Amino acid sequence: MRRNFGPRTVVKGVVIAALLIFTLFPAYWMISSSFDARASSGGQSLLPQEFTWDNYIFVFNEGRFGVFLRNSFVVAFFTVLISGILALLASVAVARFRFKFRTSVLILVLTVQMVPLEALVIPLFVQVRDLHMLNSLLGLVVVYLAFSLPFAIWMLRGFVAAVPVELEEAAYLDGASWGRMFRSVMLPLVAPGLVATSIFSFIVAWNEFIFAMTLLGGASDTYTVAIGLKQFFGLHSNDWGPVMAASTIITIPVMIFFVIVQRRLSGGLVSGAVKG
Amino acid sequence: MRTRPWLLLAPALILLGALLVWPLVRVFLFSLQDYGLREIVTGESNYIGFGNYAEIFANPMLWTVVLPNTIGFAVVAVSATVIFGTLVAMLMASLGTVWRTIVGSAIMVAWAMPAVTGTYVWIWIFDADQGLVNETLKSLGLMDESFNWFTNPFTFYAIVVLNIVHHGFPFVAITVLAGLLGVSKEMLEAAEMDGAGPIRRFFAIIFPTLKPVFSVVIILSTIWDFKVFAQIYLMPGGAGSNRDVLNLGVWSYVESFGQNRYGFGAAIAVLLTVLLLIITAIYVRTLFKEEKE
Amino acid sequence: MKKRYLPIAMFAIGALGLTACSGGAADTAEGDTLNVWIMQGTNPDTEAFFDTVGDAFTEETGATLNVDFVQWADAHDRFVTAIAGGTTPDVAETGTTWTAEFADAGALAPIGDYVTEAGLDDDLVDGLVESGTYDGSLYGMPWYAGVRSIIYRTDVFDELGLAAPTNWQEIVDAATVIQAERPDLTPFPVAGDAEMLTYPWVWGAGGEVATLEGDEWVSGLDSAEARDGIGFYTGLATDHGFSTAGATTWKETDILDNFAQGTVAMAISGSWTPAALLEKAPDLEGKLGAIAIPGQTSGISPSVLGGSHLSMFNTSENKDLAWQFMQLMTTGDFAQQWADQTGYFPGTKSLLQTSMESADALVKPFAEQMVDGGGALPVTPKFGAVQAKKTTNAMIQSILSGQKTVDEATADAAAEMNDIMNGN
Repeated sequence: MRRNFGPRTVVKGVVIAALLIFTLFPAYWMISSSFDARASSGGQSLLPQEFTWDNYIFVFNEGRFGVFLRNSFVVAFFTVLISGILALLASVAVARFRFKFRTSVLILVLTVQMVPLEALVIPLFVQVRDLHMLNSLLGLVVVYLAFSLPFAIWMLRGFVAAVPVELEEAAYLDGASWGRMFRSVMLPLVAPGLVATSIFSFIVAWNEFIFAMTLLGGASDTYTVAIGLKQFFGLHSNDWGPVMAASTIITIPVMIFFVIVQRRLSGGLVSGAVKG
Repeated sequence: MRTRPWLLLAPALILLGALLVWPLVRVFLFSLQDYGLREIVTGESNYIGFGNYAEIFANPMLWTVVLPNTIGFAVVAVSATVIFGTLVAMLMASLGTVWRTIVGSAIMVAWAMPAVTGTYVWIWIFDADQGLVNETLKSLGLMDESFNWFTNPFTFYAIVVLNIVHHGFPFVAITVLAGLLGVSKEMLEAAEMDGAGPIRRFFAIIFPTLKPVFSVVIILSTIWDFKVFAQIYLMPGGAGSNRDVLNLGVWSYVESFGQNRYGFGAAIAVLLTVLLLIITAIYVRTLFKEEKE
Repeated sequence: MKKRYLPIAMFAIGALGLTACSGGAADTAEGDTLNVWIMQGTNPDTEAFFDTVGDAFTEETGATLNVDFVQWADAHDRFVTAIAGGTTPDVAETGTTWTAEFADAGALAPIGDYVTEAGLDDDLVDGLVESGTYDGSLYGMPWYAGVRSIIYRTDVFDELGLAAPTNWQEIVDAATVIQAERPDLTPFPVAGDAEMLTYPWVWGAGGEVATLEGDEWVSGLDSAEARDGIGFYTGLATDHGFSTAGATTWKETDILDNFAQGTVAMAISGSWTPAALLEKAPDLEGKLGAIAIPGQTSGISPSVLGGSHLSMFNTSENKDLAWQFMQLMTTGDFAQQWADQTGYFPGTKSLLQTSMESADALVKPFAEQMVDGGGALPVTPKFGAVQAKKTTNAMIQSILSGQKTVDEATADAAAEMNDIMNGN
């Protein structure tokens, strides 16, 4: 339908441009400051006053961001993977089966998101300590799972419910086991939802600070990038250059993750799958 | 067959249960105590019944400033985020793969930027003396003397809304987009051939199919916007020195955890959770009632 | 079908890796290791410094030193969760505002006896002793301190032929000249969210922040003298226009940032800032000067001492060892080295004397302020609550933004302070 470059396309182009400017402007500021040697004075200028790579070098050397990046990747990977699996199973249960307490379970699962974090810090810290998972990335993954599951279950529930039962039954009629049906029929149709929840889980695990700092305590070799970012905020002054450089470094992997998974976003109903 | 759903639910529930049930109970128990640093050191309890709750309700600041700010802000922010995010999702759905990836990556940047950093960037943009906004307004002759955007509660919150919408619309956009791409194309084409315009198509076909997605997005956005803390605390005057801009998150921090009053903070947390539960329950019941029809 | 096994294998290996990643919890071993928490960021070479200290410590006591570096952001949360979870260290650096708070909660061990035994009773800097004492006992060992005075642009003053002010009127006079001749500069910003910068003016005018009368705390902010001082301070902005619109919501860090950009002529700032300034803006080298905050008509207006103590936790099983470490750090060579490396002042009078005699123009005025013009805030967690609620900040900000008059704002602030300190 690319025949005409009519007014519609022009309007669309303008809208896209405006959207990109709005979205990217703060990020541009961040990146520009990260390359600015004079950023530490919190100055205001659209272009770096004095271009330098020093902030990035500092962040990786003294700031130990190499280690932090590795830790964050590990935590994010497991959070995304496990929350995807657990949420898928749970959402099938909630969407496909009608059982007592279904609504209540759904609402209760969401409670996790409602409780203000600061109130939870001490009790959760004590609990994690009792489970002997302090100072380890494992404990952190478990906590992040708890925080990303509610959204994932809710999201996937809708997608699972949207898959017509006829398709499932058609697969069974063809002689497929439950597992086979799940992989060939349900998974592709649920894929877009899975993508959205993966991105969400990734960001939760990637940017979360309070619990990371509380549960990892003094084991600074296990720190994540979110904790690493805060080290540049001092008691009496802030190191803006490294702050911006670290922030830029933190932003990039999420973008890459999105580019990788977004291909799966357009799963949707395969045309012709439903007969009649 | 009865046990199948519970088997599937088991892993998720066990995880949530083992980790969170006891801490949540303890939060409630704390809320009934005058629990401060001293009690943490000794480990002793100090029950005062519902004293904390009484104190919360009796505080005039809660009713005159904090709740109005919080609720007003949440209404504006959630609406703006959801509407803007949905519009972006619809735009993205109509794009080809290449442009969709480009736009998608761009909005991911807005979501992925650490909230702390984003907040500081917006603060700089609106800085009274040297910020871009004021500089531009002054050079255009629209402003004589520097105006401090952060002292007036309305302009303060306008900036916060800008910050929150900027940070939060990608979540809505991606989620709604995932849902949109699952809407039956045949139905849409049939409706178009029947002469239905875009708005009619949206409300008659897209919106009903996407209701579950919208419900998730609206509920979660509401919950998050009620609890906003850092984005306000870091703003000039937002940490308590400007009493007009206090919201629930900052007020509860200043009154409770900032003063080592953990019992009081727990009580506020319990109240907020109950409030959000009620809002969610109402919304979910409405959603499920319509589904059953 | 190979695809099915690969993810599972990866998962298993990864899970093993996760558990292996766990660092050891901080145990307090018997007499062998001393666990210490030090704040990050005060000393740029902190790790090298503590390596040396560790060696010396092992030589002296035979025990190993284990130092955890804690970030300032949310350090308080770490302390609280550690207390709640029983993972506290033996010794920790506690900011002067936290020592009394933790002591009141019963988390710290009194060290008065250790100090007397070591004969250090008279050698400790008064301001730090005051903030480290709770309920009559000393809990915080003075380690290092800083103080806030006035820093100014010597090049601007030279250019305009101005002398450093020695009383309040001269501040106004100097600022007036700067305002007229150098409109590109802010003569004297008045920060609306900087509590510590307010008190010198209250004290300088003869007022008090809060005094204990019998069992009750009475706020002094609404006294005539305090109103005088606060009125003068805010008047610099509201009456004379020496400040900016943005400064109404500035914190101390904003003053530092703006000074580094070269747009500020005079400001109250801490003794730790010249070093930070020169790092942010090397072209300010040679253009900075400092003076103790002038008194109303003469002399010095008292200013709050900030800094850190070393505190011993009650849960420590090696209290004697802990004291040996504390003594090693706060007296003698290491204390002097720390002071040199960080730009702060040591906590003992004997070492402070050397700083007093320093020829450095950026050190002497601060030392003068510390010794002759050190002020102290009420040492009670109740005042900590007042600070958490930002009562003083809100007062100044409401005056600067024109919402309340000086009288209204001070009356409200005093009432709130009385409420908080005598209420719960």
